Amino acid sequence: MRIVRSGQLKIIFILTGVNILIMAALTYLSPTFMTYGNITAVMTRMSELGMLAIAETIVLIGGGFDISIGAVMALSGAVLGTLHVMGVPFYLSIIIALAAGIAVGLLNAVLVVNLRLTPFIVTLATMAIVRSVVYALLKGNVLTELPEAFLNLYYVYVFKLPLLFVILVATAVIMAIMLKKTILGRRIFAIGGNEKTAYVSGVYVKRIRYFVYCLSGFICALAGLLFTVRIRAVIPDAGLNAPLEVITAVLIGGTTIYGGKGSILGSLLGILAMYLLLNGFSLLGLNPFWEVIILGVILIVVIGQEGIIKSFRAPFVRTRA
Amino acid sequence: MNDLAGKNTIISSLRDVFKVREAPIFIYVIVMIAVFSSTIDGFFSMKNFEIISRQITTIGIVSVGMTLVILSGGFDLSVGAILSFAINIGGQGIVFGWPIWIVYPFMLALGIILGWINGFLITRLAVPALIITLGTMNIYRGITMVITKGVYITPIPSVYSFIGRGYIPFLFYAAVLGIFTFATLKTRFGRNIFAIGGAEESALYSGVPVRRYKTIVYIISGFLSALSGLILVGKSGFVQPQAGLGYELNAIAAVVIGGTSIFGGSGSVLGTFLGSVMLGIILAGLTMLAVNPYWQGLITGVLIVFAITLDSLRYLKR
Repeated sequence: MRIVRSGQLKIIFILTGVNILIMAALTYLSPTFMTYGNITAVMTRMSELGMLAIAETIVLIGGGFDISIGAVMALSGAVLGTLHVMGVPFYLSIIIALAAGIAVGLLNAVLVVNLRLTPFIVTLATMAIVRSVVYALLKGNVLTELPEAFLNLYYVYVFKLPLLFVILVATAVIMAIMLKKTILGRRIFAIGGNEKTAYVSGVYVKRIRYFVYCLSGFICALAGLLFTVRIRAVIPDAGLNAPLEVITAVLIGGTTIYGGKGSILGSLLGILAMYLLLNGFSLLGLNPFWEVIILGVILIVVIGQEGIIKSFRAPFVRTRA
Repeated sequence: MNDLAGKNTIISSLRDVFKVREAPIFIYVIVMIAVFSSTIDGFFSMKNFEIISRQITTIGIVSVGMTLVILSGGFDLSVGAILSFAINIGGQGIVFGWPIWIVYPFMLALGIILGWINGFLITRLAVPALIITLGTMNIYRGITMVITKGVYITPIPSVYSFIGRGYIPFLFYAAVLGIFTFATLKTRFGRNIFAIGGAEESALYSGVPVRRYKTIVYIISGFLSALSGLILVGKSGFVQPQAGLGYELNAIAAVVIGGTSIFGGSGSVLGTFLGSVMLGIILAGLTMLAVNPYWQGLITGVLIVFAITLDSLRYLKR
């Protein structure tokens, strides 16, 4: 079974190699790196951003853009916590939290599809809106009153792997199969590759776009639940840096911002590389703010590599926001 | 936009102002003032207008730079990060005890350099400005945090607060507005910016040095961000590593509410000014009505969506 397209294979190989290199270097530099505790800690930490990366990958493949991902993640946690404090049954709060994510996706979809607005600005605006709702719900406070049974999911292990990581892998596999093996998934690729061609070939472009944004909202909401379990609290600033981290990882993984290309495996390898580096920084005692600097540089280098070569030949380089 | 006749320029530019873009937003602003003045005691007072004018200057100056960038078909998410970088790294000069006439030019130079880096990367790499400035935003913020380690610079000598007193910030804002309104409407620079934003390829083949102008636009944006930083320091009396957080969103809001098209090529500095005034009045009004400040993001977001919907409708009509 072919999991990735042949064009993506090269990127997957390179990324796998990079990950192995980082692991080798960290094993050499730090005695605590290759311990069971540290490896599972990295797995747990990458779970929620991994989910966001899956969502972003699907949206980008479909030719869209979503920077409200981090805010939606914060929203689902905030809704969950607020409803629980209000005394709503817990399973119901979870359902409503997930529904809140889908609702934001729906709002994005309506604005992008029906009003034909630029996805970037739309999601920038919804990000501001959702974030302000989160602050208003939590009144800027951290909320720790949550059922023990829910928080203890953190300690659940499946085949010696943390449950949060297993959920991430399961979601990734389901979404990868959806993208590669179902008609729906192929149509997402088709729309991202060339919307007009897809439209005249009989694809219901609008419906699929609706589906993509709602799916993204749902996965981000799920990520919010994982995040809540991981840090055992609901915080208003959850996912504040997520747009940069996730978009960088996804672009490193071979997905393009122009749509029609990309793979979930690549995105996850990108996230893994990022977290291995982060883990290395903390093991080696470096300032964590180096992370954003390095991420920014990687983002520009990765996305600009073709442009660098081109720009010294072509007299004119087309750039568009 | 440009007026080939050369005569009746004043009348035709007046007609430009009232015919298309700025008229509706101007009316909204008047309506807002009327509504708030009639519902809130003390809204229509010199004291309150002074407060509003002081509040809108810092983001207002940044928004002028953002207007030029968006007019040229680009985008700049790094404005808040440049502001913070300029005042924090430049502020190290205050720590070392440098005199003000070295610190101020140093801060402004930092803004220019960071803007130039943006412009250089955007014009050399075939990549959307959005992604580049998302990257540089985080690089600049990261460097600021690494160097300052999150520490405030306080107290600072009182000479630095002169620039933030009373109406002085607003005078700077007015000067920036005047210069760039003139520059966009009446100079070759302005015409070329509109040409690049409207149709970059056509501009290039007509002999406009596209790269140079685009770089200049980002340099101006960086410079104005740093200038806004100086005023912010003057107003607050300390230098904060987290300064300018979220300015990019508010600046983009002011620009699109002011009727500048996010596709580039049409809009005006005057419109952005009205957009900033509108945001300032709404926020001041809601504060006086004791609405929770957490809702500000919601209002800004809704206004952005509303404004780009209008823009998109205009765009589709053409």
